[in-house]
Amino acid sequence: MGYVSARGGLDAIRAAERLVRRLRLTSESSWLEEDQILEKLRLLVDRVMGEAGLWAPRLAAKALRQSEGDATEAVHLLRAYRSTLPRFAYSEPADADDVSVERRIVPAFQRVPGSQLLGRSVDYTARFLERQSDDLAREEAEKLRSEASGTPDDERSEAHADGDTPQRSPQRLLEMLREMDLVVDRRRADDPEPFDITRTPARPPAARSALLSSMTRADTGALVNQWYRNILGPDGYLHEVTLGEVRHGAIDVEVRHPVTGLPVCVSSVRVTEVEAIEDLEGVDEDRTKFDVGYGLCFGHNERKAIAMANLDIACHRDAGRTQLEQSLLLTTDALDSAGFLEHLKLPHYVTFRSMIERKFAMRKARNRDAS
Amino acid sequence: MLLDDLINPTQSDELLDEFAKREIRRAMLAAVAIPGYQVPFGSREMPVARGWGSGGLQITLAVVHDDDVVKVIDQGDDDGVNAVNLRRLVTTSTGADQTSVAAEASVIQSRHRIPEDGLDEESILVLQVPVPEPLRGVERDMRELARMHAEADYSRMWVSLYEDKVRNGVITQTTGYPCLVNERYVVATTPIPRWDIPRLHESPFLTLFGAGREKRIYAIPPRTKVEPLTFDDVPFEVEDADGASCAMCKSSDAFLVSLPNSDVWMCSDTDWCRRTREANA
Repeated sequence: MGYVSARGGLDAIRAAERLVRRLRLTSESSWLEEDQILEKLRLLVDRVMGEAGLWAPRLAAKALRQSEGDATEAVHLLRAYRSTLPRFAYSEPADADDVSVERRIVPAFQRVPGSQLLGRSVDYTARFLERQSDDLAREEAEKLRSEASGTPDDERSEAHADGDTPQRSPQRLLEMLREMDLVVDRRRADDPEPFDITRTPARPPAARSALLSSMTRADTGALVNQWYRNILGPDGYLHEVTLGEVRHGAIDVEVRHPVTGLPVCVSSVRVTEVEAIEDLEGVDEDRTKFDVGYGLCFGHNERKAIAMANLDIACHRDAGRTQLEQSLLLTTDALDSAGFLEHLKLPHYVTFRSMIERKFAMRKARNRDAS
Repeated sequence: MLLDDLINPTQSDELLDEFAKREIRRAMLAAVAIPGYQVPFGSREMPVARGWGSGGLQITLAVVHDDDVVKVIDQGDDDGVNAVNLRRLVTTSTGADQTSVAAEASVIQSRHRIPEDGLDEESILVLQVPVPEPLRGVERDMRELARMHAEADYSRMWVSLYEDKVRNGVITQTTGYPCLVNERYVVATTPIPRWDIPRLHESPFLTLFGAGREKRIYAIPPRTKVEPLTFDDVPFEVEDADGASCAMCKSSDAFLVSLPNSDVWMCSDTDWCRRTREANA
């Protein structure tokens, strides 16, 4: 068939592809190992898996290497790869109480059952840029590694404020608040199937599961911004929020075996989970109680889970009065927003020509009216 | 199939799994059955970014067989880099052949143009859609938009066209002119220029609209009424080039684009231009 190339577009694309590969692959430094990315850029790997909605550490590391650290590009690579694979099972429901915590804090009380477990956190480290030479830094790291005493478990006990042995599945503060009759009980008797946002586009009004899964997969920065708009921006959905739980830990994912029908563990994933308690002060709300928002995302990403929990309760209280739900469902996906933003780089000369034509048409009409 | 094959598939050129293609075909059937209605679908992530033809690409992949011949254009140009990239993805993943001649193509994926000639009963035109919602200019709330479409309540659209005409002397809508399809749904016509709109009316070919980012598919089946929204005494106007003709092929009856601040005009449909030049020579 007759395909006539006019200007060598394919050559230009191939040249750009070569340039991408050359700049990535032919630098002087040694090959970047997957393990290095997994172990030394852990939080970035977590963030990418969360925004991709795919727990696959090794693939995420590959994607990050290929994207040269561009997190959104890495998310794109993972999701486009996921599109090529069939879905052959849904996991069994997992109970968040089964998360084995590596970190757990409860800002709402000083002392809580199950205790505070600071765990790995930079919250209280002094943010000094370590500026020693690379050689010195490496030497220090080697020394630390050879001192076998510093195992992670010891560190955990050290970071454990109360001095007791940390509980891995501590009781939730929410349960205690319920016992005190301090929270609105929103538990429902039925058990609806969760809304699958990857198969059905969620539009308002949507099920809460659609909102939660949209946020769990959302761009971290987008959620943080949606939250901060309530502090200094135009939004005022949030008022007095106190965090009830901030947890990070691991949980097993089970799938029913196609032959035996029995649940089998296929993976262990790490999640960050947050419960945000909000004071109810609306005229039509029960002012004697609190209500709670929920956030959960893949990996260790507290910023995202906290924003999510805050926005979950904000959206519930908004009850469809504004377009907050639409904002959360439709404007927070990293690939939707970044892709559309970047499409502005495509040629637009057909539409622009049409715009110029209307400018002249308007002038002509104006001159006609004037004369 | 073994579990292991699913988890570790051999390297494949497929961009979409078969379940996704089936889902997209079903959405397309619904779209053809209800002309102009925006059918939601579980849009997948493609190797191209959202906003770059991911919806059109999913439709094309779901309709193309290896005995098809595809033409892909961007702004009317077969050799625009994004057109080249999309064509490369379609042909390598499906084994379909490629052409720049519209009459030879069975599937034409396009960003914002309808080829000047060559589309017939055998053609499927796939238009890439950035914004599928024609009413967004007058309403932002999706719940209200759903109601307006459901009740065919397009009054605010008419008011906005009226105000536009009164304030500006002309209707200033540029591309993607809103049209009533089959006397029922108002659709966003991608942004194809107004020049192309009359050719959607009672067309011999099937037009499929794919909005990947917004996860919507809609269709104009062959021989369907497509009326641009305008008033009885305000004729619909296509782009006026003031009698200009293409500097290369001398056409004046094609959609022309110009160089900045000059009187040099060229066809936006590059293959039409090439064939016209060859016929003239």
